[in-house]
Amino acid sequence: MINNTKKPVLDDLDHKLIELLAQDARVSNRRIATQLGVTEGTIRGRIRRLEETHCIRLTAVTNTLVVGAPRVVLIGIEASQTELQSLCEQLAAMPEIACVIRMLGRYDLLAIGLFQSLEEIAQVANNRILALPGVSHVETAIAVKTLKYDHRMAKITPA
Amino acid sequence: MAFEPADGSIVLDETDKRIVALLKAHGRETNRDIARALKISPTNVGARIRRMEDANALRVVAVTDFAALGYDVLIAVGIEVGGRAAEAVGLELAKLPAVFSVHLVTGARDLELLVAVKDFDELRHFLENEIVHIPGIRRISAGLAVDVVKYNFDRVPM
Repeated sequence: MINNTKKPVLDDLDHKLIELLAQDARVSNRRIATQLGVTEGTIRGRIRRLEETHCIRLTAVTNTLVVGAPRVVLIGIEASQTELQSLCEQLAAMPEIACVIRMLGRYDLLAIGLFQSLEEIAQVANNRILALPGVSHVETAIAVKTLKYDHRMAKITPA
Repeated sequence: MAFEPADGSIVLDETDKRIVALLKAHGRETNRDIARALKISPTNVGARIRRMEDANALRVVAVTDFAALGYDVLIAVGIEVGGRAAEAVGLELAKLPAVFSVHLVTGARDLELLVAVKDFDELRHFLENEIVHIPGIRRISAGLAVDVVKYNFDRVPM
């Protein structure tokens, strides 16, 4: 399962609000309120609740093709079960690694990284990760083209 | 939309980067508050944000948690393609609503997908009914996410 914490049930208004904010999070409460036919206070309250329960985050998302580290790399890792917890922490601490997932099936861990260059990929995947205690196998898939990526959905962890 | 190639011609200066940093922390920070923090005019802030958005360098959006949307099952699917261009297969897979990312990759597989579904019934439907009808898919290997330890989503391929 990907949710460790119970999320509140969202109603119709929440979904409509999220849909608007997913297009542009900087629209004023007043405009949203007019559009959805409720008061500004309702909108303000809803947004606060959605943020506090970690259902949404209103944030700037930058394009890696413009701001650097454009190479998306999926790193599948096989490792000893007793070391998984510690490996998760070590991987999560690496600035190049954007995403760490414990898996059942294909791999024990999947790390997704954003890199500047092939050299950097080799340095992180083939040298640093492979050398971590407990890691027995590392499989690297370099994304040569992104055909789809929905940046409006993610796993939101408490800051 | 998110998948259009970026206009690589834009270069962000220090002021742009500071605006982005403030927006990453609080997406709904007003132009006026940003202007005050950076000691520039609100008009300047608005123009810079618009310029970055127009160049596809920046989006200020609501990012929604998978679980809040009811997607409790996340899987990573690797696909081997045969007898058909991998990109054509990938574009067809990209049309499926459960598929939220598709990458054309190097290595043993040709495509890597991230798929979010509500439950195991939906997962079975996805694997048995939706995927199998796409020509060119030779082999599928799927892994189930049991714990998302880190998920940083503020830098993405757009």
